[in-house]
Amino acid sequence: MAVMTETEPPPPPPIRGRTLYRLRVLRHDPTALLGLVLVVVLAYLVVAPLVAVLSDAFRLQYGDEAHAGQAPGEWTGYYLWRVFRSPVSRLLFWEPLLNTLVVAAGTTLFALVLGGGMAWLVTRTDVPGRRWLAGALVVPYMLPSWTFSLAWLSLFKNERAGGQVGFLEAQGVRTPDWLAYGALPIIVTLGLHYYPFVLLLVGNALRRIDAQLEDSARILGAPRRTVVRRIVVPLMLPALSSAVLLVIGRVLGTFGTPYVLGLPADYRVLSTGLFQSIRDRSTGVASVLATVIVIIGVLVVFMDMRLMREHRRFVTVGGKGAMDRLGRLRRLRRPAFALALLVFVVSVLVPVLTLLLSTITRTPLDLSTFTLDYWLAERLPGAVGFPHGVLRGHELWEAAWNSLRVVGLASVVCAVAGLLVGYVVVRGTAPRVAGFLRQVSFLPYLVPGIAFAAASLSLFAVARGPVPALYGTTFLLILVMAVTHLPYSSRSGIAAMTQLGREPEEAAQVAGASWWQRMRRIIFPIQKGALVTGIVLPFVSGLKELSIVVMLATTGTQLLTTLSIGLVDYGYTQLANAVVLMIALLSFTMTTLTQRLTRTSLASGIGG
Amino acid sequence: MPTITLSGVSKSYGGGEHAVRNLDLVVPDGAFMCLLGPSGCGKTTTLRMIAGLEQPTAGSIAVGDRVLDSVERGLYVPPEKRGMGLVFQNYALWPHLSVRENVEFGLRMRKVPAPERRSRAEAALRMVHVDAAMDRYPSQLSGGQQQRVALARMLAVNPAVLLLDEPLSNLDARLRLEMRAELKRIHEESGATIVFVTHDQLEALTMATDVAVLNDGELQQLAAPMDVYDRPANRFVAEFVGSPPMAIVETGPAPTGLAASLLRHVEPRAAGKAPAAVGIRPEALRLGPPPDAAWHEEALVEAVLPAGSSWTVRLRVLDAELYAVSYTPVLAASGDVLTCWTEQLHLFDADGVRISSWDRAEATA
Repeated sequence: MAVMTETEPPPPPPIRGRTLYRLRVLRHDPTALLGLVLVVVLAYLVVAPLVAVLSDAFRLQYGDEAHAGQAPGEWTGYYLWRVFRSPVSRLLFWEPLLNTLVVAAGTTLFALVLGGGMAWLVTRTDVPGRRWLAGALVVPYMLPSWTFSLAWLSLFKNERAGGQVGFLEAQGVRTPDWLAYGALPIIVTLGLHYYPFVLLLVGNALRRIDAQLEDSARILGAPRRTVVRRIVVPLMLPALSSAVLLVIGRVLGTFGTPYVLGLPADYRVLSTGLFQSIRDRSTGVASVLATVIVIIGVLVVFMDMRLMREHRRFVTVGGKGAMDRLGRLRRLRRPAFALALLVFVVSVLVPVLTLLLSTITRTPLDLSTFTLDYWLAERLPGAVGFPHGVLRGHELWEAAWNSLRVVGLASVVCAVAGLLVGYVVVRGTAPRVAGFLRQVSFLPYLVPGIAFAAASLSLFAVARGPVPALYGTTFLLILVMAVTHLPYSSRSGIAAMTQLGREPEEAAQVAGASWWQRMRRIIFPIQKGALVTGIVLPFVSGLKELSIVVMLATTGTQLLTTLSIGLVDYGYTQLANAVVLMIALLSFTMTTLTQRLTRTSLASGIGG
Repeated sequence: MPTITLSGVSKSYGGGEHAVRNLDLVVPDGAFMCLLGPSGCGKTTTLRMIAGLEQPTAGSIAVGDRVLDSVERGLYVPPEKRGMGLVFQNYALWPHLSVRENVEFGLRMRKVPAPERRSRAEAALRMVHVDAAMDRYPSQLSGGQQQRVALARMLAVNPAVLLLDEPLSNLDARLRLEMRAELKRIHEESGATIVFVTHDQLEALTMATDVAVLNDGELQQLAAPMDVYDRPANRFVAEFVGSPPMAIVETGPAPTGLAASLLRHVEPRAAGKAPAAVGIRPEALRLGPPPDAAWHEEALVEAVLPAGSSWTVRLRVLDAELYAVSYTPVLAASGDVLTCWTEQLHLFDADGVRISSWDRAEATA
């Protein structure tokens, strides 16, 4: 045994040796390289589009020279002026902004009342059929959001826009514009889509409240009402505020519903305004609008984080659950059940059945005019753009195949990328790389989908350097879709890798496994479950995604969702309804199948 | 062949904090070396550097004449090429592989043909007595079984260097005792060089052939287990090793009470250097009539705490409180006054470094 040095010969210049040593270590550990690659890729796919859209907002675009009196490419405040101060700014920005705020506030209120009430009924009372209701009331969230708007049109559409009128008009009842289009229908249909969101968040929080907290208050002499007011509601605030802000964020970026129900009456919101600007090729204005939407989105999420942090002080953990302490409704049990059932009927059965009936009747919902032509006919007289039933011809099948292919690939890319981000973050050889990946992969969460799509468009629409113009390619669709779902997959990837820890891999390494062998035999097999969830969740939500793809899809890359919106544009209501029904069916089956297979709940999919 | 040599090894993280500072350590061929120290002392980092899972920021590590790391010369061998065996604190069994597949993994990586792989895995599992659970998955095993599988996984590849990172800390007391004996047997049978990290001094003292005590990233003492106990190199080692811990009496510039009494006793023998602190091990403090040369003093019994095989007595001696551990029944009750004595005192200088022990053996020698 010895304790001594003096065995080593005098070292060569230490700096050189040290560098050589570091290089040798790096050569044997591809994690560093992988981290670097991810940093570059994410910077290009996430940060660059946002920079591009910002720069487009301040650079003069081709075609605007005459108006602005500047050369293309010069820095300019012209678009800012045009959007915020010019004679057309009311039309371009202020009115859509006001409408957006009205719709967001209305939808949130609607969803909050409906979702909160239902959450209370389902979790805290002895209403009959609680279990069934808890599942059934979430179904609206599995349908594409604009399903409701199409159903609304089938019922209330008047002669203002072209195409077939709705059920009521056909019956000879005049539906006024405010009922057929604009704020009210948008708020109601979006509210019906988003209330399950509130129900899930608030329901989870209600379930987690420790019944002992309430019991303590009761024992100290507080009457029931006081307990609710002083104990339960304050404890629910984090979940409530979170639900509110998330719904606002979603409404901000939603496109389908305001497009279907708003535009025929010139009721513009920011997202449809952005879409129109892009369609009109006024890139500069579109960039300003996209930037504004991004800023509002970022503000909303930051506010949410801020509130959550403040509320973390009184997060209640554990608890024996309130299952055995259900409030007794007594005589109100039946009416309460009837109310919940009514909500289900209005939010699921009515829209779906309306759509279904509208596709099998010539006069809306009049069963005496029953026909299967809209599904099966080889020739549909009068429908020039789509002259046959949806199941005929190649359009639907092509779009369906495109949807599956694009969304499927995007989901796989997304899940693998998320897991790799998690891997690099957890291996953590370079804290700065890990920090960057963590932040940037979360960034798309702050950006409403439609704004992100607009941003990608400004980066990829033209050839830049070695990268060719990608507009109109499925490749771009896949990329953007993968990136927008990255926040969820990278978060779950980081969680999964953190839970696994580094030891299993290190054990394999010491046992003699090279990096590839470790990946192939240890990491990926262990993370198989996380990987499957990471693929399936984006897949399900991607199938009904419209806001992102409506910007990027072209006639060559038609997806199911864009096909149905295209049919709406043509005024082929029945055909559009049929396609949406197909999407709803697909998305509903996939969701329930997933929940069965992976035992994940939808609540984890919406990313809280 | 496998003598592990660490020379001038340092490990610092960004921000200049050192996990390990200029460590020189030789683990002789066939040794069972314990790295002992409190948590955060750098012992696990040292082990992981030997395994190659972490890289030193200075210094070199070699096994035999094969240099594994040399920051100065730019040499590096990745962990998968070092051919060592490592058992993690939480075992790190692969949950998706059966026990057999876990154990065969290392052999598979070494391209051992299937039939031989099978028989060697079975032999390794038999050695740790879990061959009955061969086709189960790690989650179906108890903690003790998982521990054994982790050992078998390491033993199957028959490495010349075995590294163990607190492998017994997650086991209950009985299993731990059993595994200690098991590890000792495995060491004798395999002839491998073992480096064992623990914060449990009892583990170190019972199993190791050599103990390296670390604190704050620095080596405090490297010695045989009983030497670490009997002749601690400094106050840190003295207080860390031994349970209940050694009582340290500071003498100060104007010693009074117990300190003065001890000094009076050791001064003539302390080779001119005045000790700044005197240590008494509770096991060395006896009760009853003292032998001739022993230090002794009157003690008031404050409490007697029987623990089956031993008796711990809290005493008030002059101005201080001392504990004595006796392995014969103590018949005193609190309030009694006895004589306490010892023939073993540990003397430390102002820097906490051991001057000498004063004990009967040394005094008479």
